[in-house]
Amino acid sequence: MGDTDFPDVNLGDLLGGFSVESRAPGGGAAAAVTATIAAGLIRMVAQRSSGSWDDAAGAVAQARALQARCAPLADADAQAWREAFDAMRGDVPDDVGLEEKLAGAVEPLLLIASTAADVAALAAMVAERGEGAFRGDAAAAAVLAEAAARSAAHLVAINLAVTKHDPRLAHARLLEEAAAEAARRALDAGP
Amino acid sequence: MLFAVTVERISDAVLVRRCRGGDPEAWAQLVERFSRYVYAIAVQGYRLSSHDAEDAFQEVFTRVYDRLDSLRSDAAFRPWIAQLTRRVCLDRLRVETREEPVGQVELPGASDVLPELDEAFTVHEALARLPKQCQEVLDRFFACDESYRTIGAALQLPAGTVASRISRCLDKLRAELEGRNPPSGGSGE
Repeated sequence: MGDTDFPDVNLGDLLGGFSVESRAPGGGAAAAVTATIAAGLIRMVAQRSSGSWDDAAGAVAQARALQARCAPLADADAQAWREAFDAMRGDVPDDVGLEEKLAGAVEPLLLIASTAADVAALAAMVAERGEGAFRGDAAAAAVLAEAAARSAAHLVAINLAVTKHDPRLAHARLLEEAAAEAARRALDAGP
Repeated sequence: MLFAVTVERISDAVLVRRCRGGDPEAWAQLVERFSRYVYAIAVQGYRLSSHDAEDAFQEVFTRVYDRLDSLRSDAAFRPWIAQLTRRVCLDRLRVETREEPVGQVELPGASDVLPELDEAFTVHEALARLPKQCQEVLDRFFACDESYRTIGAALQLPAGTVASRISRCLDKLRAELEGRNPPSGGSGE
């Protein structure tokens, strides 16, 4: 981690990681990275708002914590998806193995959805109370976080397609809705 | 949980004074208050094994019990026990490396780690002086990595208000660290 606490990754390497012909990292990791970027935007806006908003420092601290949670989830998701993909290729003996691997791949996605929903909620607060000139960035963060939560929830639904009545799907949908509501609040906050 | 502190908070100086007076409850509180600090110095500062750290822990508190009367200022208990712990850890390392002088046993990373431990302990102490609701919400978010939704459900708060609650509590924590907070009764926010 450098001075900005942003993971020490070259942007070209990051983008290249998503364009090589491998199955992972995929959508889940992209959602985690997106939520991390959104949390970084919140930090920036909150820091810029410290002169006019008493709780700005608290928002910065929360954004840092959420950034730290999001970033490792990209790797966790990529690893879980690789294992699930191996299972789909028949590298495990039977369908039970496949079901287990797909279900296992859901856990990082749920964490991504949950953390992204929190990022969206924090972004909404910052968009409503932060410095006016930077509220647009906070709203952008909320929309990015919503996209991350929605993407993760969608992938949860796909992974759980081979199981029935899994409560984790309903949970993912709740997180998606919460993120969407937060993004609406952020967009309504105005400049 | 890193920040879970539930005992009534009294100052170190008062606690030490009670210990000198032979109050067994005060001794229990003193050990509870500083046990993690001592253990962290042993494990993180001097990289003792858990077994050696346990032994060091026992030795430190035995020395505290025997030498408490030699402490010049009751308010300076923390640096005093930190110094005691460093000496005990160095003694243990010296026994392991026998021929090396004590001065050469000090680990390269110890000088970096010890100030961090001191800072962490300072924050821990300040947190313990906050209202219980603030302690809990900060502990859940920063130490346990709980989501706003989980915290809201556990504390019966609307999920949309958890972030602002955390911010307010962080502001109180900062004020506590800077000595700006009025004395707290330990309840309410």
